[in-house]
Amino acid sequence: MITFTGARRGTAPLTWGQRAIWDTIQRTAPDDHYFNFGRILEVPRGARPASIAHVARSVGLLVERHEALRTLIGPGPVQDLRDRGELPLRIAADAEPTAVLAELSATAFDYAGEWPVRVAFVTRGDEVTHVVLAFCHLASDGLGAEEVVRDLRLLLLRGGLSGGPPPQPFDLAGWQASRAGRRQAASAAAFWEREHLRMPPTMFHVPSGAAERPPVWRATLSSPAADLSAQRLAVRHGTSTSTVLLTAVGALVAEVTGHETVTVLPIVSNRFRASTRTSVTTLSQEGLFVLEAGKARFTDLLAESGPAVLRAYRSAYHDPADRERVVAEASRERGTPIHPYCCFNDMRFVEQAVYRDEELIRRALPETSLSWPLSQDKLNCRFCVHLGGAAQVSLTADTRWLSRADIERFLLGLERMLVEAALR
Amino acid sequence: MLKERLAQLVSEACDGEVTAAEALGATVPLSYLGVTSLAQMRLIDALEREYDVEIDLAEDVSFLDSVDGLAAWVSAAR
Repeated sequence: MITFTGARRGTAPLTWGQRAIWDTIQRTAPDDHYFNFGRILEVPRGARPASIAHVARSVGLLVERHEALRTLIGPGPVQDLRDRGELPLRIAADAEPTAVLAELSATAFDYAGEWPVRVAFVTRGDEVTHVVLAFCHLASDGLGAEEVVRDLRLLLLRGGLSGGPPPQPFDLAGWQASRAGRRQAASAAAFWEREHLRMPPTMFHVPSGAAERPPVWRATLSSPAADLSAQRLAVRHGTSTSTVLLTAVGALVAEVTGHETVTVLPIVSNRFRASTRTSVTTLSQEGLFVLEAGKARFTDLLAESGPAVLRAYRSAYHDPADRERVVAEASRERGTPIHPYCCFNDMRFVEQAVYRDEELIRRALPETSLSWPLSQDKLNCRFCVHLGGAAQVSLTADTRWLSRADIERFLLGLERMLVEAALR
Repeated sequence: MLKERLAQLVSEACDGEVTAAEALGATVPLSYLGVTSLAQMRLIDALEREYDVEIDLAEDVSFLDSVDGLAAWVSAAR
């Protein structure tokens, strides 16, 4: 056990980001372990050899510093911040860290009764070699977890941290309810409303006729050629590979569905403000990206997608209660449910764009491969694109709307679209 | 002075990927120098806080792509 004693306790409303992930978790249960994720920190050379007691003390300080790591979900739901407690610790001797992480992440968290981070130390002899952290998505998103790992590394090396903690979710909830917070919320809600009154009701509305059991499948395309092409296009168009890929996905959705206006929900970090940049909490939320694809070519769309991306980013910092109301009103007014069920999550932390050589792209083409790493019963969406590291693009889709053949065709089509545009 | 300060904000928004001097002397749109859409969002936040203005993203925002454009926009909006 790791004991901790923090500075304050109490309850507060959920922040917008917590509310959004909470709603999503509710809709995905009992498959909600889907949202667990983790980090593995190799104990830095300068801190070795590190005893279990030293590393446990560092993790305790970490939990004291970041209130998100000692916040449960109370009835309401509300943030239930505790000031003291004991965090279970697993010791895994001579284990493979990734296997330990997989085990820690395999089951859903008990949101009301379990600390939102699970901790294991991998040891060799008396020494801790790796710290394995499995996060409940209510405690943090990926970028917040990066802050946690950075702090833990410093704690291991120095025993303490200079400077106070970044803004806490408890305080963030206060700002969001303030006049300035409500102004931001109102401006975002107006955008969601305007678009919901005119956009197509959904992106994938034709049953595939090829539903699988279980219905949700993920294909992962590993394509260095697509990655290199996206880089070349990003430099050529003065944009990021993230925007290139989001626009490419939008353009291809237009092509396969026939919609001239395409809507995609990108998961946006919401860390643009000085006050939220380094917070440990879940800030990421869906934004609304509206692409007027018409009959335009992908490269023409790329030249124009910048402002649409900015609008999508800004719309992501919204109050989920407003969005729920806007969506319900638009659905009622139009007599049909309005929801894109089409999302995009760029989970990479570093973005690199170099004007890659054409020959390099051609030579990379034979390295492309496709695998099917996941299938499950429930998903609160029909079409989810994930960008991971190492040139990986995944498509997790509901086979009631996209058959497995459609999923595979989409990923290969995406690669083709990027490569052809890059080589043009 | 305004332009120097704006160039500084541009540089901070992209974590120094583009220096203030580079932003001031740019002959191509800032986005081509590495001011990505994420950096533009940070820049928008910084502008709104520093100059107490509101940027409407439904309008033309091509002014974000040069220090001259930013200076003209801020001067008109204040």
